Amino acid sequence: MSKLKKENKVLDKLKSVFNLSGEVKRKQRIAVKSDSKHVSSILLFLKNQQGFIHLNHISCVDWIEENEFELVYIVWNPKTKLTVLVHTRIARENPVMENIDTIWDQANTYEREFREMFGIEFPGLVAPKEFILEDWDDIPPMRKDFNSQAYALENFATRPGREDAQDVREVIQKRSGEELPDFAKKYSRD
Amino acid sequence: MSEIKSIGIPTPEEIKQAQIDFAPRCTSAGRVNDKETQGMVEHILNFARKHSLFVVAYGTGCGAIEIPATMTSRYDAERFGIRGAATPRQADVMLITGYLSTKTLKRVIRVYEQMQDPKYVIAFGSCAINGGMYFDSYNTINALDRYLPVDVYISGCMPRPESVIKGFVKLQELIKNGNAGNGEAYRSDLDWYRKNQQKVIKNWDFPDNYNW
Amino acid sequence: MIREKETTLYIGPQHPGITGNMMIKLKVAGDTVVKAETHVGYLHRAFEKLIENRNWLQSFTLLCRFCVPEPDPMELTFARAVEELEGRKVPERAKYIRTIVSELARIQSFLLWYGGQSGSSGLYTVGQWSVGDRNYILDLFEDLTGARIYHMYMWPGGVRRDLPKGWIDKAYRTMDYLEGRLETYNQLLFDNAIFQKRAQGVGIIPKDKAIEWGVVGAPLRGTGIKHDVRIDEPYEAYDKIDFVVPTFEGGDVWARAMVRREEIKQSIHIVRQALDHLPGGSYYNRIPNPMKWTVPAGEAWVKTESVRGEVGFYVASDGSNKPRRVHLKGAAYTHGVSVLEKILPGENIADVSFILNSLGVCPPEIER
Repeated sequence: MSKLKKENKVLDKLKSVFNLSGEVKRKQRIAVKSDSKHVSSILLFLKNQQGFIHLNHISCVDWIEENEFELVYIVWNPKTKLTVLVHTRIARENPVMENIDTIWDQANTYEREFREMFGIEFPGLVAPKEFILEDWDDIPPMRKDFNSQAYALENFATRPGREDAQDVREVIQKRSGEELPDFAKKYSRD
Repeated sequence: MSEIKSIGIPTPEEIKQAQIDFAPRCTSAGRVNDKETQGMVEHILNFARKHSLFVVAYGTGCGAIEIPATMTSRYDAERFGIRGAATPRQADVMLITGYLSTKTLKRVIRVYEQMQDPKYVIAFGSCAINGGMYFDSYNTINALDRYLPVDVYISGCMPRPESVIKGFVKLQELIKNGNAGNGEAYRSDLDWYRKNQQKVIKNWDFPDNYNW
Repeated sequence: MIREKETTLYIGPQHPGITGNMMIKLKVAGDTVVKAETHVGYLHRAFEKLIENRNWLQSFTLLCRFCVPEPDPMELTFARAVEELEGRKVPERAKYIRTIVSELARIQSFLLWYGGQSGSSGLYTVGQWSVGDRNYILDLFEDLTGARIYHMYMWPGGVRRDLPKGWIDKAYRTMDYLEGRLETYNQLLFDNAIFQKRAQGVGIIPKDKAIEWGVVGAPLRGTGIKHDVRIDEPYEAYDKIDFVVPTFEGGDVWARAMVRREEIKQSIHIVRQALDHLPGGSYYNRIPNPMKWTVPAGEAWVKTESVRGEVGFYVASDGSNKPRRVHLKGAAYTHGVSVLEKILPGENIADVSFILNSLGVCPPEIER
């Protein structure tokens, strides 16, 4: 474990200050899980005390089975070249997350996107409502329960032959009236 | 001078003769009255048009990456009279370079309607033809000719500069035969196009009449 | 006073100075920009949604279309992310081939950038030549992968096919040719008084704020800060290759241009070295039947250096045959929105597309 000394030091420091669980995933990668309430103070601590001054990325994953959104804040330290991934989960119904664009300005862009694509509210976010979409009237499209193909079929004219994603083998089978050979069956969808 | 058989470059004598022939048939404002002469004039104009195609500078999708290659030294599309124009008012050809998201479609319609007749549309790539790999995307249209009249489709993803030039040559052929240019068809079928367009574009804030 | 009056000006989406398809809404007082606002979404194809319905291998056809001028880093980054999730090993030869391909992709993107940057300052000859020269790189790609732009060449476990016969010689010849051409570009662009006067002191990114603002890649190195993913977190064969990361002080368009001028030399140098030391052996570790191929549950955050800056992929898997979430972070995501909005105020309207080109803003990377 001596190879991951730097990583463990940061993790231990975080664990001593905050109530969180975490692990060193590999060289230069530290992943921590925390309650959504403490995320902004963890990020502030990382930025001001630990030198993680670069916000690399914020990602959002929809775990519909657990009825939760997972937000991942990825910060990077230009001196030690370490990356910390701060995970947090919020409820899927009326999701609200703390706004961190006072810590990093560019977080504003991510939050605008998540507000539009996942419907997560960030109180205090000052930005135009629309970012990528225009006049969107359905549920936020990046949510797992939004069916993109059904929406496309309903709204956009399709050229004949392209009404759905037909499996070519099945179409050929129907046209020729033949049974699908065994070797082709195993490549069939589903 | 009843009909022009071959479209070659007219000699100075022919031009002079044509001017004399057409003079009594034109009004003082330079308009041609009778059908027959109109056809001839169109013929000559088409010859000129096909050698001077100004393409509006609007990279609507990822196909735009092959446009610089087509326009620059190796493929040099300018030898066919193809070159860029900054504004839609001065352009003849509009390239739909690939898929169109609904947000872009609104702007493309606006740009297309601002272009002056005769105007031509070339659509690039499989995604403009039938959606291509974006067939199930909620944000891209799947069949371009329901929303805008298209003269030439170029297949492929992405079309090589050679096929882009081939598409332009095909367009020139259509122009020469008088089969290209759908501005008039668009105007006459405007209701159908508008109905399709409004289905996709939710917030319709265009002028009602297409009269610009 | 007419100068006091503010006017709203829209640049794009239909505008020859815009890189790609985006719009910048400017508030201008006279000729000076007071406030800038980026509007994107014109190229939104919902890739990340579509990938959730494709299996792991099918998503490669979508992935490379994330950024049009330079598709290879996307494939490479995603392939590396999947390898990290799976713990899949890559043969040594494939690592070198990947290095060569990603450096060739950098070179062709640099040549395209020459065209854009010079075209926005009125020097059209450079673009005619450099985009023409770019075709030589695309020819190499075509021989190698079968396509000019979108290659889908780097897959988890290696690369799709081995180098064809005679390709190495052709690559050496192309590198020699391009190196000879660089002097011409120096004379045409970098020694040109028009370009120097236009570029110096324009679009300054302050050094002390750059990292905090999220600036990466050449714009960051243009402020004098040495940071490159190829050195910070070496991937593929970069740890065995000797190269220099150039930096330049100033933070303006000129500094970014000088950084890129040196970087293209370094890229040629890297390609030569990788070709020299290309090991033999296998180029591909086979993956299972792609239709039934499942990737273990987990997450990966992988970064790669592209011309515009770092490209990162956050990939989450739930153990099924389809990705749970693939989230791209391109350099343009911060450069094109928040950084651009910060550095444009105070500049001339005429310099807007000039600055846009120097940041290497690629709209499809922002909205995906």
